[in-house]
Amino acid sequence: MRGEWVNMVLLNVDGVECRYGSVKVLEDVNLQVEGGDFVGILGPNGSGKTTLLKSISRVLKPHKGAILLNEADIYALKSVEVAKQMAVVPQETSIGFNFAALDIVLMGRNPHMGRFQMESEKDMAVARKVMNLTNTWHLAERPMNELSGGEKQRVIIARALAQEPKILLLDEPLTHLDIINQLEIMDLVKELCVKEKLIVLAVFHDFNLAARYCNTAIMITKGTVFAAGNLSDVLTSENIKNVFHVDAIVKKHLVTNSVFVIPLSPQKPAATRKCSIHLICGAGTGTALMKVLLDEGYCVTAGVLNVLDTDFETAQFLKIPVTSEAPFSPITEKTHAANLTMMRKASTIVLTSVPFGHGNVENLEAALEALEIGIPVFVVDEVPIESRDFTHGTAQALFAELKRKGAVFVKDQDELLSMLNVSEEKHGLAKEEKAKIISHLKPDGSHEESDITAKHEKTGGGTENK
Amino acid sequence: MSTDKVESTFFRRTSRWKLIVLLLIIALIITVIVSLNVGYAQIPFLDILSIIGKQIPGLNSLINSSSISAQNSAIILQIRMPRILAGVLVGAALAAAGVLYQGVFKNPMADSYVLGVSAGAAVGASVAILSGLSFAFFGLRLIQVAAFVGAVSAMFLVYNMSRVGSRVPVATLLLCGIAVNFFLFAVVGLLEVVAGDELHSIVFWLIGGFSNVLWKDIWAIVPFIVIGIVGAYFYARDLNLLAMGEETAHNLGVNVERSKQILLVLASLITAAAVSICGLVGFVGLMIPHLTRLLIGPDHRILLPTSTIIGAIFLLICDDIARVVATPFASTLELPVGIITMLFGGPFFIFLLKRKKGYAA
Repeated sequence: MRGEWVNMVLLNVDGVECRYGSVKVLEDVNLQVEGGDFVGILGPNGSGKTTLLKSISRVLKPHKGAILLNEADIYALKSVEVAKQMAVVPQETSIGFNFAALDIVLMGRNPHMGRFQMESEKDMAVARKVMNLTNTWHLAERPMNELSGGEKQRVIIARALAQEPKILLLDEPLTHLDIINQLEIMDLVKELCVKEKLIVLAVFHDFNLAARYCNTAIMITKGTVFAAGNLSDVLTSENIKNVFHVDAIVKKHLVTNSVFVIPLSPQKPAATRKCSIHLICGAGTGTALMKVLLDEGYCVTAGVLNVLDTDFETAQFLKIPVTSEAPFSPITEKTHAANLTMMRKASTIVLTSVPFGHGNVENLEAALEALEIGIPVFVVDEVPIESRDFTHGTAQALFAELKRKGAVFVKDQDELLSMLNVSEEKHGLAKEEKAKIISHLKPDGSHEESDITAKHEKTGGGTENK
Repeated sequence: MSTDKVESTFFRRTSRWKLIVLLLIIALIITVIVSLNVGYAQIPFLDILSIIGKQIPGLNSLINSSSISAQNSAIILQIRMPRILAGVLVGAALAAAGVLYQGVFKNPMADSYVLGVSAGAAVGASVAILSGLSFAFFGLRLIQVAAFVGAVSAMFLVYNMSRVGSRVPVATLLLCGIAVNFFLFAVVGLLEVVAGDELHSIVFWLIGGFSNVLWKDIWAIVPFIVIGIVGAYFYARDLNLLAMGEETAHNLGVNVERSKQILLVLASLITAAAVSICGLVGFVGLMIPHLTRLLIGPDHRILLPTSTIIGAIFLLICDDIARVVATPFASTLELPVGIITMLFGGPFFIFLLKRKKGYAA
């Protein structure tokens, strides 16, 4: 906008403690940010995120500590002076009277106008520019009350930008926006942050959006800072578990190169575990079953699985005991024996529709051995063995043997679960998961996967271009 | 810079504001002159113009006033003129105060009743009426002074009761105001019960009217009303921003607590001054701001001046009707103007509201 990068803005939150009445809602918060920083504020409901923004935006004076804007105490400055430097996009906006969108955006020029001054050509030019940026110029003359939630939110963001701020505070700014608007607005904010050296502080509920845009993060719980620093150091599955009490998988995304988070549903602690089920699976065919069976209160074990296999990772995550083999290696005799020991403790064996090659055909032999010592074996025969036998017939022969010796063949996971008396609701969930995985495994399902990859690349590329 | 349709529309709109105000002022002057012609005594229109012209220093020598009777001159200058100016001032004051109350409270139902101002004035006036005393302060009647003092006291009482630390939350203010309002009107009710012969006076005062307005009453309220409205205009843009919510206004550079305090004090002083000479003329403060908003939009920089003038014109017309409507039945009977404002204002407002498809704000 102005290119005055010399005027680097500094914001210092120095040992801030905030109270509502006598209730302490923030304690000893320290934060030091400068132009170009995009800070994500993360934390569960009621942890003090909004309070922190309020104290920074001069609404709630801290009980202790200070907020320093370029080393000046923000509470000693005039509202107008602060408003020239800092803009806030609030969580909720209610407009008292029916102003047009352009009027609302022009209100962002208030700190730059004298008491009796009318909007100048320059103010209008700024309003027009920010409304073009936020894709709201076509709404300029529409009454605010007639706009949709997303349109309103974009107008409010335009108003904040019309202040030409050096610091932008966003309190869950994306609540009413659909996905394309979320990305467009955040791309815009990110660009301003980088190019104009803005400080952006944003409260996020969506870890993945935070991960995509923030370079630093502060995680708050119960009014205190739990973690602060580089985003990848703050947004870890350990911190998420501690603060949000949710298990989550945190990984680096191959396409966007940012961290991404997959939260998992909270797991009920089963007071009394039912009997134990051993899964012979792999390549993701057991993932859905593991979760469902655990939720149903069964003890679950699995093996042999290669380290890095999807099912292995799921098992690790769900803390399921696994007999494992090194990545991409055939099952050794030692591992095979260990697996057999594990299987002897199980009361049932379940064999999923996993493809068999020379690397894992031993698992079939193990199933046969288990059957021979009297442990019931369920075979989920969803994909015909012919199409997933990569052992030139060995697996098919073992399959026939299993059938002959009395293994129970079920046509799909549904049938298996109903035989195990798993509730209908859980059924449905497992079915969806399963369908996804199976379609990837089927030879003719491979094109779907490439479709997804292509889409990812497209989105990623588009983002960078902006 | 390339011009854009939206931009030029905006600038055309704001540049039209001065013209709108000018046209309304002309309309007000015409209404004043026409109103001077309304009344029991039939005075030729040209005579009225001559009588007024006589009062303007430059025109004085040019007008031949030999044909005008001293009686007609007195009717115009001593009876009709103060009454008309009272209508203008009170109408302007109540409408302007309504704009300020509705703006600060972000509430379309807000008017001088919400802070207990009207109720305070009513208690003051009722006590004065019942006291039967008739001494005067600087030439003003006791009832006026008492109403003014009652109004201002009620406002300060409500404002201070609503204070939480250094802030005065609007919701608390509204609730305190309503509570005080009920309490004070209960006191008025009590006074009415024990009033006896004076009941008629109290009831008349509560409805509001302009009979017996004198020049010195006008001079007493002019400073409050003019200073109040002009002062409030300094904060017109703050009112726009307050409509976004106090926190947003604050983030956009408004010193919210100070603006709110100044605006409420000004609104209450304006109201107190107005009701002190005419009683509780209802509906103007509530309706005129809405009506004006329907016509010209919500921007307080134009809403405040236009509401003020429209309020003046409206109350003046209502008072004209009040003066003549009962004449056919009894030559000296006048209705209190408060009855007219409510009787005709209500249906007219609903008509406007319906034409705008029900969007009041």
